[in-house]
Amino acid sequence: MNLLGAILWKDLVTEWRQRDRVVAMAVFALLVVVVLYMAAPPGMGTEARQHVPGLLWVAFTFASILGLNRAFALELENDALAALAMASADRGFIFLGKAIASFLLLGLVQAFTSLAFGMAYGIDFWPVLGPFALVCGLGAFGLSAVGTLFSAMAVRTTYREVMLPLLMLPLMIPVLLGAVRATEGLLADGTLPWPPVQLLLVTDAVFGIIAYLGFEAVLDE
Amino acid sequence: MTPSAAPGGRLTATIFYGLVVAWAIVVWNAPIDAVQGPIQKILYIHPPLAFGAYLGFGCTALFGALYLWKGEDRWDRWALSSAEVGILLCTLMLLTGPIWAKGTWGRWWSWDLRLTITLLQYLVYLAYLLLRGFTEGSERGARFAAVYGIAGMVLIPLNYFAIDLAGGRSIHPENLGDGSLGEGMGLPFLLGILMVLASFFYLVVRRFEVGGLRDVEAERAVAAERGEGAVAQ
Repeated sequence: MNLLGAILWKDLVTEWRQRDRVVAMAVFALLVVVVLYMAAPPGMGTEARQHVPGLLWVAFTFASILGLNRAFALELENDALAALAMASADRGFIFLGKAIASFLLLGLVQAFTSLAFGMAYGIDFWPVLGPFALVCGLGAFGLSAVGTLFSAMAVRTTYREVMLPLLMLPLMIPVLLGAVRATEGLLADGTLPWPPVQLLLVTDAVFGIIAYLGFEAVLDE
Repeated sequence: MTPSAAPGGRLTATIFYGLVVAWAIVVWNAPIDAVQGPIQKILYIHPPLAFGAYLGFGCTALFGALYLWKGEDRWDRWALSSAEVGILLCTLMLLTGPIWAKGTWGRWWSWDLRLTITLLQYLVYLAYLLLRGFTEGSERGARFAAVYGIAGMVLIPLNYFAIDLAGGRSIHPENLGDGSLGEGMGLPFLLGILMVLASFFYLVVRRFEVGGLRDVEAERAVAAERGEGAVAQ
């Protein structure tokens, strides 16, 4: 448990001092907003707005991949990852510390990106803020859990930046579809539809368990 | 000399080639579908390839789990062999499907529940092979691949619900085996399944042998290098 706190604290403090990961993720998400807006048919009519939930989650996912790629890159310096693996505590706590740090950073980026999306497409998230935050949280949980596991693998492959999206994206479909459908429902009539939330809850639980158990096998001896 | 370490290698090969010939003859003689025409004969290979592909992916996850549990190299080699053969069969299935669809539905692809999930599984196990290729150190690569192979399998039920939620209308025929096959169509279909299963086992066993020979060769190379080093000193 101390290890969890220590790793979480270390990751957040490092981020606070350098602020490179969150800033890179946020700038990237903003760029995705601009690029997607330019790629969409002209105008800001209702038709364009219908695509906002999907585009929003595309931006979140790409930004999360960018951040997760950095999550373990730091640990490679001075072979810190090997030292972590030798810690006497349960390795699951290392995973939890890393995953929670990524979850919190992604949450920040989600808030910023939603603000940018709201301004770009004229959407008011304020009336549905609570349920929207819940959907973002559930989506971010799935992304961070599996992302942390795969990031620990990808960082030790030859093409690390390339490997993470290849590993992550095909497995992220249930999270993305659940989150996009839930956001769609929220933006359409302000109520949170239950089936996508149910899918998100089940997916998060399954991914959480896989990532927690799988992490044991991913760290080197 | 061709190294044929598997005792039943020649037997499985004979069974496989025999089935291919029998299947080809039976398919050639099968009645032509009144509505779809000759293109319906793709049915005698497409669903069997799907069974073979999923068998391959399932075996990859199963052997991966056994590798993580037991830590023996052979389970990893079985997992890799199953994944490669599964990918091969899945590629053939994804090629035959659109040909049939273009002739029957009038378009190559539909974002249907089953098609989408199969495509995703295909991408997952392609990533599995890439992960192996890009990981240095066979032991580490084996561990990573085992974890990823298992995660890829768990995804199937989740994706099923997810794509259903997205409105993946199923226009893919579902009712095989409920008497939907016309007269004279059951035998070629059955032979198709047997042929694909035989090819699956044959190829997996051969791939497993090749993996073993590579390991032996690698060990020999390392030993030779050490020997040379000792002489040089």
